[in-house]
Amino acid sequence: MIVLAHGVLEMFELDNGIAEQLTEISLNSAIQVRCGNSNAFMVTASTMVPLIQMFEMGGIYISASRGAVEIIQAFESIGIDVSNIHFIDLVSSGILGGTDVPYDNITFIDSPIMLESILLRSLYRLRTTDNPRNFVLIDSVNALAIYNEEKMLAEYLHTFINTFRQREVLTVILNIPDQVPPSVLSNLDLYCTDLIDRGQVVIH
Amino acid sequence: MDEILRGGIPYGSTVLVAGTCGSGKTTLGMEFLVRGATSGEACAHFTATEPSVKLLENIRQYSFFDMKMIDSGLINVFDMDVLYSWLGLEKASFDLQDVYALIKAIVDIVNTIGVTRLVIDSVTTLCYKIKSEQLIRDFLFTLGKKLATLGCTTLLIAEITSATENAHWSSFGVEEAIADGIIVMGDVERMGHLLRYLQVVKMRGTQHSRAKYAIELTPLGVMLTPMLKWGALNDRAGSWGA
Repeated sequence: MIVLAHGVLEMFELDNGIAEQLTEISLNSAIQVRCGNSNAFMVTASTMVPLIQMFEMGGIYISASRGAVEIIQAFESIGIDVSNIHFIDLVSSGILGGTDVPYDNITFIDSPIMLESILLRSLYRLRTTDNPRNFVLIDSVNALAIYNEEKMLAEYLHTFINTFRQREVLTVILNIPDQVPPSVLSNLDLYCTDLIDRGQVVIH
Repeated sequence: MDEILRGGIPYGSTVLVAGTCGSGKTTLGMEFLVRGATSGEACAHFTATEPSVKLLENIRQYSFFDMKMIDSGLINVFDMDVLYSWLGLEKASFDLQDVYALIKAIVDIVNTIGVTRLVIDSVTTLCYKIKSEQLIRDFLFTLGKKLATLGCTTLLIAEITSATENAHWSSFGVEEAIADGIIVMGDVERMGHLLRYLQVVKMRGTQHSRAKYAIELTPLGVMLTPMLKWGALNDRAGSWGA
């Protein structure tokens, strides 16, 4: 498959192992998805595609790593329709003109530090959707860690995961493990019910 | 809110909703009326801070609100200026007689329509015309008592600033003493961004939460989640009035 990322043509195939793993998971699960720097989009797409196409889920995509438009266009370029997904964009408000976009499935939040607002906006969107089954995906913990203090982020993820598990909304948390503070990572290990590990091996 | 209050505001209570500008007091008040109107209750809103036309124009953006509730008479909005004019109270300050005339007018309206949910927005603006602290106390106490007797649950909206917030939950320092409940709304500043919060300080007859909640004013109404405890270390009161 070909995807246009950052103006460069890349070749990749979806990781079918992720789809297989997802078939074992219930709606009130919380999945930690570990990826590396170079395979982040492939892992994200390999997670999203089965959720959207196989399980016919709707959901919320919280974009802290890149602007929502860039992510939507990346999915469109590989033929994935994400119009049924609502994006909560934490990046573009920091760029003048970044919120003037041709998509109506994006909500902008001023900053990744407004963690409670992210949770409330996600809950609001879930209350307005007709989809019977939904997921909420954070992309990514390492992007949130740039702005938020370690203990606050760990507390937030604890609240976030429990809030959505209680509502039977599948929680997907993307992270690049070697860029996440150790206490946040160990808390994720504790709170998440499942792990999809595609983090790249780092040789020190 | 019902979850925080472990059930809701007790029937017939007078609740002070004290908050800084832009903290969502009017929206909360209007949602309180809409929820009542949805279940068939007659509601009234006395507006002293902005004309009713402007209030309704602002509130129309929320999908929980339906203009039919106004048209059908379930929610009745009164301009305090019009009420003052009817009562011949177009003056800078009120004396005892004026205060009792105002109480009688409000109670008569509540009684005639059969109002069970009432919002006065804001009691601060209204009390500016009452110069004596004792008279303010009498006004609020008598009004609250009469409304409770009629089975009317009342939200008294109060504007506070940072100075008053530290000392009291009201501008005149007497409103909170007569209220059955106090809900405080404001902003906390986190790294230059303002987050709205709400906290129930007091609610007689309930085992309410006393935690601080972050709020969002969504088209569906006010949504809440507990504020992050570790965030509180760095958060500070918003500089706009709080």
